[in-house]
Amino acid sequence: MLITTHAPGERTGASALVADVGLGWTSMDTHQPTIEELEAQALAEADATVDVENETDQERVARFEREAMPLLDQMYSAALRTTRNPTDAEDLVQETYAKAFAAFHQYRPGTNLKAWMYRILTNTYINTYRKKQRQPLESDAAEVEDYQLARAASHSSKGLRSAETEALDHLPDSDVTKALASIGEDFRLAVYLADVEGFSYKEIAEIMDTPIGTVMSRLHRGRKQLRELLTDYAVERGVISSPEEARR
Amino acid sequence: MNHHEENRPARGPADCADVVLRLFEFVDNEAGPVDQARIREHLDECGSCLAEYERDLLLKALVRRACACEPAPAALRTQILTRITTTSVTVVRDRRDR
Repeated sequence: MLITTHAPGERTGASALVADVGLGWTSMDTHQPTIEELEAQALAEADATVDVENETDQERVARFEREAMPLLDQMYSAALRTTRNPTDAEDLVQETYAKAFAAFHQYRPGTNLKAWMYRILTNTYINTYRKKQRQPLESDAAEVEDYQLARAASHSSKGLRSAETEALDHLPDSDVTKALASIGEDFRLAVYLADVEGFSYKEIAEIMDTPIGTVMSRLHRGRKQLRELLTDYAVERGVISSPEEARR
Repeated sequence: MNHHEENRPARGPADCADVVLRLFEFVDNEAGPVDQARIREHLDECGSCLAEYERDLLLKALVRRACACEPAPAALRTQILTRITTTSVTVVRDRRDR
């Protein structure tokens, strides 16, 4: 079982993430954990009882290797989507692992290490690689509601799969990654964490250090932009003739 | 099958709006059990909301498919491991020096 107690004064980092989420990354129904994930999870559970206080340096290195290194491919993939180029992605992952190792004594064994690593990656990215240009102001709840209401009002009266859905399904993966790379980085990260990693809203809120309402707003806006971009690509590719047709 | 209509506001645009408002939460498996049941019920009888739902579901699946895990370069793995081991050795040496 996972340890869910929180030490007083501990940062609200990933250690707080595990309280309600059980095994963490299975919150999305459709997400099948990979063999690597299951192995990492099993190892993490085996390490959950480790005595961090009295652990030798060698033991700590070994434990870090056992638990954190299996996450490397995932962290690299996320860094690749976040930074959008391999060189920056490698730097970001290097730095993330260096910081994670330096702070590993603060990580509470048995809790969600992946979320903890993601939080470090996100912080590192924001502090180091974030573009100078300011993000547009965060949407408030009202704006999200407006969008959703408009969506409800405009949606077609009948029909199962719409022309748009049909068209989007035929776009190549490269169009999807291109669209993802084009949207604001906070939106991109929120969508990535939710859709690729299957983190819960609560976990994403912890990782991105924002209220859950902001996570939802970022997801709404990110997906809206993604959908618009992908519809444009579908029009460019001639899969659908016009956005108007798509929205019918 | 009209029994549930007595306990709910009339169907129509408002109902759709209500559902669409929570569709992402539903798609992300974040809706509470009550909302989930209500949304599911509505999707069973409303083709346009179902289409909207399918589109959201597809978008989520597309992102997931397109961002399939890519293996980290072997050199990166080695660099990280070297750095960790070196850091640890330094710490050990520091302690011994004291």
